[in-house]
Amino acid sequence: MRRASAALTAGALAGALALTGCSGSGPGSDEAELSVSSPYMPQPVSADMAAGFLTIINKGGAADELTSVTTDVAGQVTLHSTAGGTMTEQSSFAIPAHGRLVFASGGNHLMFEKLKRRPKQGQTVTVKLRFAESGPLTVEMPVKAATYHPSTGH
Amino acid sequence: MRKKTFAAAALLAAAALTLSACGKEDDAGSPIAVVSGGSDASKVATVLDQPFDKPGLVLTDTHGKKYDLRKETKGHPTLVYFGYTHCPDVCPTTMSNLAVAMKALPKDQQDDLRVVFVTTDPGRDTPAELGKWLKGIDSRFIGLTGDFAKIQAGARSVGIAVEPTKKDKKGKLVSMHGTQVIAFSPKTDAGYVLYSESATVDDYTRDLPKLVEGAKP
Repeated sequence: MRRASAALTAGALAGALALTGCSGSGPGSDEAELSVSSPYMPQPVSADMAAGFLTIINKGGAADELTSVTTDVAGQVTLHSTAGGTMTEQSSFAIPAHGRLVFASGGNHLMFEKLKRRPKQGQTVTVKLRFAESGPLTVEMPVKAATYHPSTGH
Repeated sequence: MRKKTFAAAALLAAAALTLSACGKEDDAGSPIAVVSGGSDASKVATVLDQPFDKPGLVLTDTHGKKYDLRKETKGHPTLVYFGYTHCPDVCPTTMSNLAVAMKALPKDQQDDLRVVFVTTDPGRDTPAELGKWLKGIDSRFIGLTGDFAKIQAGARSVGIAVEPTKKDKKGKLVSMHGTQVIAFSPKTDAGYVLYSESATVDDYTRDLPKLVEGAKP
């Protein structure tokens, strides 16, 4: 319920911003308004580990931070950035006000370890995201083909 | 090459942020622009003016046997990738893309093609571990492990920089993978095309029929 009203507020805010044209944070937008888009997990090669990708959109006027991720299919989920072939574990990721945090193949990713089962294409993995300020979000993450790429959609 | 991709990605990201910050109606349900480079055919494959010699790597395969890369793959179209199995994202995606694209080739060309995965993390990737992992992708793929210094030198000879596995602050092991797949010609045995890690299964499916003949994609 809270989410629904949050979405409405965000919509209204976006409208207000369009009218005032980039005039910074609108009235009442002093909180982060988070939503999740395009979550997916490529079907993993083994039962050892898997990756997950999604985008967190912040329509609010305050920044927030993704601080932890949990799921019932893995013993541990960690947050990683990738640069030049090296993956680095991060304790949190910033979500800028009126911005987004992108987890995409080749860049940031969620790393699922100690899998309790090997997720298969067509299944869904339930993931809970926790933030420094906002309440937690629960995301149903579909398992796609191992070769899935959002740019091609398959 | 990588630097450029990052700069472009940063620009794209900045553009996306600017758009959303300027109040463009941004439905959370709509697909998000892909920031990681997409599948622009002109960028994922680079044909080299000066091809690389095939690395003179003599390592151990997934059956624990000695494998001489030059000798075993001579005259065969060969794809080489440097990666590690404790890698959730780029390594399995790259190898899975190759596996699916390979299956689109006629049977005789599938048999002719050599796909070689050289581990950058020989400490954890024993022949057995490598074999188990590759079996989940395509059991025809060749997995090689051995002395890291040798592997690093082999990678460097084809322009790929990898560092040994290290422990991070929490004591977790962190390895490094190459960012490119190198295609070696069956005619010259030279590495003449590089694929970036943003190459999709469609890119490989489109190009493999050329690569197995040593033609330019």
